[in-house]
Amino acid sequence: MLRLSNVTYRHRDATPTFTNPFLQRIGPGIKGISIQLAPKKILGLVGPNGTGKTTLLKVMAGLLPPEDGHLMIDGARVVDSISTARLRHAVSFMPEQVGWPGPGTPRRVMSRLCAMRGEDNTNGMHMLDLVGLTQRVDDDLSTLSQGMRQRLSLATALLGSPEVLLLDEPLNGLDPVAQAAFRALLRQLASNGASIVVSSHNLNELARFVDEVCILHMGRIVSVGTITEVERGLGIAARLEVSGLGNNPSSAISAAINDVTIIELSTNEGEDWRLEISLHDAEWDSANKAEIASAITDSAAKISHLAIVTSDLEHILEAATGLSVEEAGFAILSSGEAEK
Amino acid sequence: MSDGFLTGTSRLRAVLLVTKHDVGGMVRSNRMMIMGVVIALFILGSCYAVTDARFEGLGGFDADNPITLLFLATAFALWPSTLGVVLFGFDAVSRRRLTGELAIDLTQPMPRNDLSLAHLLAVWLTSLLPTFLSFLGGILIIAYRVDAFPTIAELIVFFTATALLLWWYTCLQLFASSLARDLGSSVTLGVGTWLVFTTIWLLVSAFVASLAGVDITDIASAEFDTVNEKVDLFSPNGVYQLLLETLLPGDAQPRLADAWIWLAAIAWSVLPMSLFVHRMQRIKP
Repeated sequence: MLRLSNVTYRHRDATPTFTNPFLQRIGPGIKGISIQLAPKKILGLVGPNGTGKTTLLKVMAGLLPPEDGHLMIDGARVVDSISTARLRHAVSFMPEQVGWPGPGTPRRVMSRLCAMRGEDNTNGMHMLDLVGLTQRVDDDLSTLSQGMRQRLSLATALLGSPEVLLLDEPLNGLDPVAQAAFRALLRQLASNGASIVVSSHNLNELARFVDEVCILHMGRIVSVGTITEVERGLGIAARLEVSGLGNNPSSAISAAINDVTIIELSTNEGEDWRLEISLHDAEWDSANKAEIASAITDSAAKISHLAIVTSDLEHILEAATGLSVEEAGFAILSSGEAEK
Repeated sequence: MSDGFLTGTSRLRAVLLVTKHDVGGMVRSNRMMIMGVVIALFILGSCYAVTDARFEGLGGFDADNPITLLFLATAFALWPSTLGVVLFGFDAVSRRRLTGELAIDLTQPMPRNDLSLAHLLAVWLTSLLPTFLSFLGGILIIAYRVDAFPTIAELIVFFTATALLLWWYTCLQLFASSLARDLGSSVTLGVGTWLVFTTIWLLVSAFVASLAGVDITDIASAEFDTVNEKVDLFSPNGVYQLLLETLLPGDAQPRLADAWIWLAAIAWSVLPMSLFVHRMQRIKP
């Protein structure tokens, strides 16, 4: 399976000057990334713009050579034609928003890629069928909507039944129905043994179908694990938000349940109190939610709203970096070093 | 022994199939509709013009046999053909890079050398098609007008030289296309190179001749011609003209030995191609 060991890659930005037209500056990238992909799992790669998600995917796909560290497939470093060929067969990459400008048709695109792979054209047609492009196979590419183009990109990535599927912002441009079908397809592929990496800046969107998330910030992995593990690791585990009428039940909840943190929030109209409750060493389930509800009603208070609040990317980034949302969102890795 | 990529005939078949796809796309493109017509008009028109009784020849060549007439026609005809290579090839790599298609190509289990070869063959064959068809028509016009055909040997050398010229421009253009990160830079690099070799090269020859102490006010002199031929070895158009001049009779033959001309042709065939393939090995989509 695919593994990155302490991989660093920094882009080189051309900054020509009159005296040195070949001057380059070290730009953004990724630094010291170590990660191993597991079969049958979907990993969400999350981070703000310019944080290195696409770069990391391209390094995983073997499109960008690591400056430092190693890319490994099945335990072997990708350094020669044999390991590169193994990587090409095992790993598939779907870039973000492929233009597909034409002239051409989805059939011709798949046919060309099948030729490159030495595969039969029927495989390409099967993939177009799988992504719902059967009715558009002979339409000119220029007539395809953004969603259709995304589907075509996905079809190209699925060719050859890859063991590792790297998808860069795949949900962009897809309508909700297509998104649901897409999520189901990814789950099916994962259950068949594929390892899938999906990048997105939308954690809530990813939370619906990924097994684990990897939070990137300024080219480094901030946290990796299930969303709950990530939140707990950063001390921002899921919270229960509850509001209602009558007496404030904070003391009754503290007395009934150990190891909780209760924060009083400002109330909305028609509420007497609003609390945010965090568990220290447990996850929320129906039992401890019922326990809280019982403690509140026993204290003669009445519940009008009770819901689990998951953290969004902003909160996670704030917790992980100690920066404000604005600082974390606009910070881009750049050393400003110049090199020849 | 397989290294995981396709091997042997399967590998060649994959290259040819990708080439076929790309040629098909380019042949059906709007720019082929335009360049095909322009190339045909230039070549057929040139062949017709050089066989006109009022045509007095160029550069002292007597238009008295079919291959000489064909040679004279190339002086006009190859402008659109070489420009066609530039226009077919300027976005062959750069556009795929911009749109993300190149990233998809490069993640396929096809060696980058093979993909580079497929790109080269596709642009080359696309530009070769209208040029060769037009020259075949031009040869028929010449044969009809002067009632004589070039020999088979002359035709082989003529078409080989023409194919080589287009190959050299294909390699140069695709190298430029792989260097540029946007279409504007790609077309500027391509057209700039084309302009240097097609229109400004005489200035380079004159500059070198003046450095060598040759009188550049008399470009018909033997001294200037000798320097000019040597400088022409560094230009694809120059080597092409020298190759064709080897077919001409007597005084029209180049002063340089044929070996030098063919050596230059081999160098032009290999070096720009190597540059492009090397560049594609390292290209980052």
